[in-house]
Amino acid sequence: KGRRNQKGKNRGCVLTEIHLNGTDLDLGYETKEELIFRYCSGSCDAAETTYDKILKNLTRKKKIVTGKVRQACCRPTAFDDDLSFLDDNLVYHILKKHSAKRCGCV
Amino acid sequence: VEPVLSKGNNCLDAAKACNLNDTCKRFRSAYITPCTSSTSNEICNKRKCHKALRLFFDKVPPKHSYGMLFCSCRDVACTERRRQTIVPVCSYEDREKPNCLNLQESCKKNYICRSRLADFFTNCQPESRSVSSCLKENYADCLLAYSGLIGTVMTPNYIDSNSLSVAPWCDCSNSGNDIDECLKFLNFFQDNTCLKNAIQAFGNGTDVNVWQPILPVQTTTATTTTASRLKNIGSETTNNEIPTHNDSPACANLQVRE
Repeated sequence: KGRRNQKGKNRGCVLTEIHLNGTDLDLGYETKEELIFRYCSGSCDAAETTYDKILKNLTRKKKIVTGKVRQACCRPTAFDDDLSFLDDNLVYHILKKHSAKRCGCV
Repeated sequence: VEPVLSKGNNCLDAAKACNLNDTCKRFRSAYITPCTSSTSNEICNKRKCHKALRLFFDKVPPKHSYGMLFCSCRDVACTERRRQTIVPVCSYEDREKPNCLNLQESCKKNYICRSRLADFFTNCQPESRSVSSCLKENYADCLLAYSGLIGTVMTPNYIDSNSLSVAPWCDCSNSGNDIDECLKFLNFFQDNTCLKNAIQAFGNGTDVNVWQPILPVQTTTATTTTASRLKNIGSETTNNEIPTHNDSPACANLQVRE
């Protein structure tokens, strides 16, 4: 499914990565360890399914009120492996589902 | 461009490098998880912790695994981090300290432990007349054999924060007539110049070429078990799939920076 991003209409929705310090996450951990954070970003404007097309059309015709329905979002469709680190007080922590592995318009 | 490394704490730098490498990151959290999860009446499931530790040293390239285990240190923050590498509260410490010869007996009952202990005695044999202080003159084989013991009942660790002395979780009290044999066994860990020099050489980055992919050297039958441990870097992946049929969660409007 993720491959759709490269070939399909939603070329904009891609996996991007950024190198961070553990403290940049603001999750309350005191650690000097670092990590790669991967996230999904980009546009999902091009309607992907008939469902999305119908929603768009109905919104345009004001048959349904905008704001109550959502467009497809560029979101993770799979998460990266768990990440573990040792904090400054020598306590281990494990982060699960913290970073994206694949993206899609869902 | 390599990030500027903080001065002094090589163990922290090794941990950073591990989490930036997908294989090391995966196998690291794969042992941290069982080694830090308490069960109803125990501090952890020691068997699962040991198994995951063996997998870590089997699958992760020595550059990363040794980087965390044999990093060189100048301060306590560093040595404490090094001591915590194997999560000793689960993998190492126990309520009672058995006699080392009894521990050796239980090791011999297990195929993996028996062969890895034999590798350790073969490959870390000190020899005062040799340049390296090792009879085998091969630091890489000694470190491979030592790290191979991690995850067995003979799991060794650093015993204090100001030296490279290591020992399994045992002592020589109640040895009776076997006290000399027991001390000889324990001192092979605690006071082994071959092993200390090997750890130091890795930590200082001297002997650098030896740490690149080690080809299985079959000098004796004892080395074959450790050599084969380096083959087949695992490719099995855990998937962490998210079901896509759910209601979409909040749609963040992240834009790709040009």
